[in-house]
Amino acid sequence: MSSPTQIIKSKSQVHIFAIITLAIIFAVGLFVVGYDQGHIFSVVLGESAYADLYIHEITHDMRHAAGFPCH
Amino acid sequence: MKTILFLSIVLFSGALAGTLHGVANLAIVEPYLDTAIGIENQNLFASGEEKDTPQFWVEYDAYRDWQKGGQILAGTILGTSMGGLFGIVYVLSRNVLPKGSDLKKSFTLAAVMWLTIYLIPFLKYPANPPTVGDPETVVLRSVLFLSFIAISGFGAVGFYQAYKRFQSKIKIVAFIGYGMFIAIVFTIMPPNPDEVTAPMDLVNGFRVMSVVAVSVFWVSIAMIFGGLWHKLRPDVEYECI
Repeated sequence: MSSPTQIIKSKSQVHIFAIITLAIIFAVGLFVVGYDQGHIFSVVLGESAYADLYIHEITHDMRHAAGFPCH
Repeated sequence: MKTILFLSIVLFSGALAGTLHGVANLAIVEPYLDTAIGIENQNLFASGEEKDTPQFWVEYDAYRDWQKGGQILAGTILGTSMGGLFGIVYVLSRNVLPKGSDLKKSFTLAAVMWLTIYLIPFLKYPANPPTVGDPETVVLRSVLFLSFIAISGFGAVGFYQAYKRFQSKIKIVAFIGYGMFIAIVFTIMPPNPDEVTAPMDLVNGFRVMSVVAVSVFWVSIAMIFGGLWHKLRPDVEYECI
């Protein structure tokens, strides 16, 4: 009687769910660090978020250092 | 492909490389940012918008400490974001990346992405320290910057498709094609509309350090991602026959 043989298969196909998840993370992360001017917090804080610019301020140095256009 | 393991590798390597980017910024870019913001402060004092008082400096120091710390968090978020893009491109192009270890493939892809979506766009629209940007033009500059990155990135993908279809002897045509394409785009796209009024030694020093710090990110993600892929092999599945 022969014992089962284990074979290794390398599969490059990735689930579309993973691609969509990563694409969303890419877009949201890029927007937060590079472009948000109060938009995200305005959902919770309303118009004042556009004046407070919390995300802009906390990402300010990275925006300049990574090459994003800033003020 | 083990999806959860694949996602974990991508997100962890992106977040860690981004954090290292933030730390590199803190070490080598911050001195230039401080100098540039110092010039902005002097302009505020000269125009009368702010007064040079001890109270101002107390508030300013607290504010800057907060911004500097935030840079690490921003690096982690940006790194995770770019890691996501890196993971997508890696998994879709892995079979055509140079034969050998996943570390070699990872470094090759990181070099291509560093060149096409960072360095070439940077040469057209280089990073600037505070005091250079005009708030009135920030939307236009953002559109130009993002457009150039998108054109360069999608151009690279297009010529990569041609590269795959060409026979070995003429694959070089795809590289030449991309070079000509991006040279034309480089010439056609309008320049940054803002005049640089800050001292050029400050601006140039800032730009050099900015390139070094961003390069730290690309080297880090190549090393961490490739190393983890090699170790954990999310693409390997075992079957019993």
